[in-house]
Amino acid sequence: MATTVKHEIGSWDTFHNNGPFPTKVLYETLLEAKGNMPSITDRYNDAAAEIQRLIQLALSNREGFRAYGSAWSMSHIAHQKDNMHFNTAMNLKRTIDVDELHPNATYVRENLFFFECGNIIKEINQFLFDNGKSLKTTGASNGQTIAGCVSTGVHGSALDVGSVQDSVVGINLIIGAGIDDIVYLERHTRPALNDVFASRIKARIIRNDDLFKAALVSLGSFGFIHGITVEAENRFLLNRYVKRISKDKALQLAQTLAFEDADFVVEGETDAGGKPLRPYHYKIFINPYVNDTEYVVEAMYKKPYRSGYPDPVPRIKTAIYRDLILLFTSIAERFRNSIPSLIRLLQTSVLPPVDLQVTGTIGEIFWDAGYQGPAYACAVGVDSRDSPKALELLANLAKNEGPIPGLYAMRFVRQSDATLAFTRFPVTCMLEIDGLIWNPQRDNIISLPQFCTRIIEVLQANNIPFTIHWGKNADWSFPGLIEHMYGANAQQWKECRSALLKEETAALFSNRFLQDTGLSEYIVNAPLALAASVV
Amino acid sequence: MESPAISNKKVIHPFVVTILLSLLLSSCYSVRLMNKNGIPEPDPLNTSEDFYRGKRVHVLDTVITLKPVEGEFYLIERCASGGFYSFEYKVTFGGVLLNVITFGKKRQVKIKYVCLKQSD
Repeated sequence: MATTVKHEIGSWDTFHNNGPFPTKVLYETLLEAKGNMPSITDRYNDAAAEIQRLIQLALSNREGFRAYGSAWSMSHIAHQKDNMHFNTAMNLKRTIDVDELHPNATYVRENLFFFECGNIIKEINQFLFDNGKSLKTTGASNGQTIAGCVSTGVHGSALDVGSVQDSVVGINLIIGAGIDDIVYLERHTRPALNDVFASRIKARIIRNDDLFKAALVSLGSFGFIHGITVEAENRFLLNRYVKRISKDKALQLAQTLAFEDADFVVEGETDAGGKPLRPYHYKIFINPYVNDTEYVVEAMYKKPYRSGYPDPVPRIKTAIYRDLILLFTSIAERFRNSIPSLIRLLQTSVLPPVDLQVTGTIGEIFWDAGYQGPAYACAVGVDSRDSPKALELLANLAKNEGPIPGLYAMRFVRQSDATLAFTRFPVTCMLEIDGLIWNPQRDNIISLPQFCTRIIEVLQANNIPFTIHWGKNADWSFPGLIEHMYGANAQQWKECRSALLKEETAALFSNRFLQDTGLSEYIVNAPLALAASVV
Repeated sequence: MESPAISNKKVIHPFVVTILLSLLLSSCYSVRLMNKNGIPEPDPLNTSEDFYRGKRVHVLDTVITLKPVEGEFYLIERCASGGFYSFEYKVTFGGVLLNVITFGKKRQVKIKYVCLKQSD
């Protein structure tokens, strides 16, 4: 039997110290030992039964219940005041059997994998590599759980690929404590797995595009995400370059993404005719306080996998143009305890020398990122065509109403079809601001909540459509924010959730974050067809 | 008026202290070995503000006494996953001194390790 340890913790915090938040209980479920229960499916179902027991307990106590993994989100999205469930030890993983593929599936069976919620990206990278495969994209590092990535919309800067959730083809949810409360969701227009698979995990299948798209970026609120079916691809290599290019050229590329027609040429990354190749990944690093004529850009080009390339990890380990917070802390190292000195440094410094070229798999390039100290991150999504204007506005905000201790970056992500994906533009530019948490009274500067509010006000005042990364710092209580960002999609999401969940379980899987955003609203008369299979 | 002897003491003491401190500090260091592809065993209750945040840490802090004819020793530890994620040993001035004055028969052991996360 899977076992659960109960910790009465009193308070809980994120990995980056964005709390603390008052919390009664933290549960940690451990799988039955492999030697006692050799079948992966048996252990998976055994864990599901244990989760249902915990859900029943919370329901009986009229309390909330929320799963989390690596606690990397900086917003309060993962927090629940009553019961939090640490699911990282629930990390079963398996390939798909021949008899489990749907007859109408358009997927290659060998590319499909089923992961339990607590698998972190690094172990998925390793497992897929051992099967000759790779994730299509990840975030800038590898420590998030797959359930956390998908439900909050974690992305990289793969401009023609999308976010992590865009590789998901099936979701197994536990939506209550009853026998019918284990469901497996798929798109009805693109089924992947059949009833044999569903019966093995004791789930009832719901094939419905709208429900699937709503549950994809679920904010942890459509039930306990127990397992996820992911479409991988053949493993590949990335050639990574970090270059200084003119600010004008960097922003023109951000706006057009027309790499093939630009004069941004990386030696060796051209076609037979000498035209530049389109990168897999494009990212810009910006110090908003310095009017630099050059920006630092990171570009990666996708190549077929080959063995025998030099181990990239020693170089990646010391590279600073990776995660934005890593770059910031490497610059800020000497002034961690003096924010005014740090800001003076930012106001007079250009960005450090660029990293060396390196080649590696997605798991090697987007390698470990350790704890960097108490940190914040704001990230807004705008249409890539609006990105230079949005950057100018938000850089001016930092200069005129700040300063704040932070650096900026721009990443580019293809559109997602998830109902509440913040990557909702044809190509979304994620404009990021990362830095160290400061004390506004002591340092006599604008507070982070005030700065977050001003980000929304400035973008609204300038009529730039935008979204905000679910896992990052923002003024989540800003009136009408969700409707402004998502329009009718917000209502669609609430209706799908209300159709799938009973009112009491909708309350169970809610939290303060959902209340702040207004997404906890239960639509009593939501059409039940929204949670039924479309034949 | 201070005597010359006392004045000399005032000049010498800080210098000696600095040298001693430098020796002590330089003879206290740690080395960490890490598994490139490993995934650490998680610990949601570990809120330390360093490399070990969120990881389940095991600590060995003891002094090993060797028998007169014993030249080497093993510490046997068990990770349920079968492997180590990271391993850090610390050398201190006191530990080195202890080893020297006991002719290598007493060895101070200060080790922190993290196991690999269990996986199929």
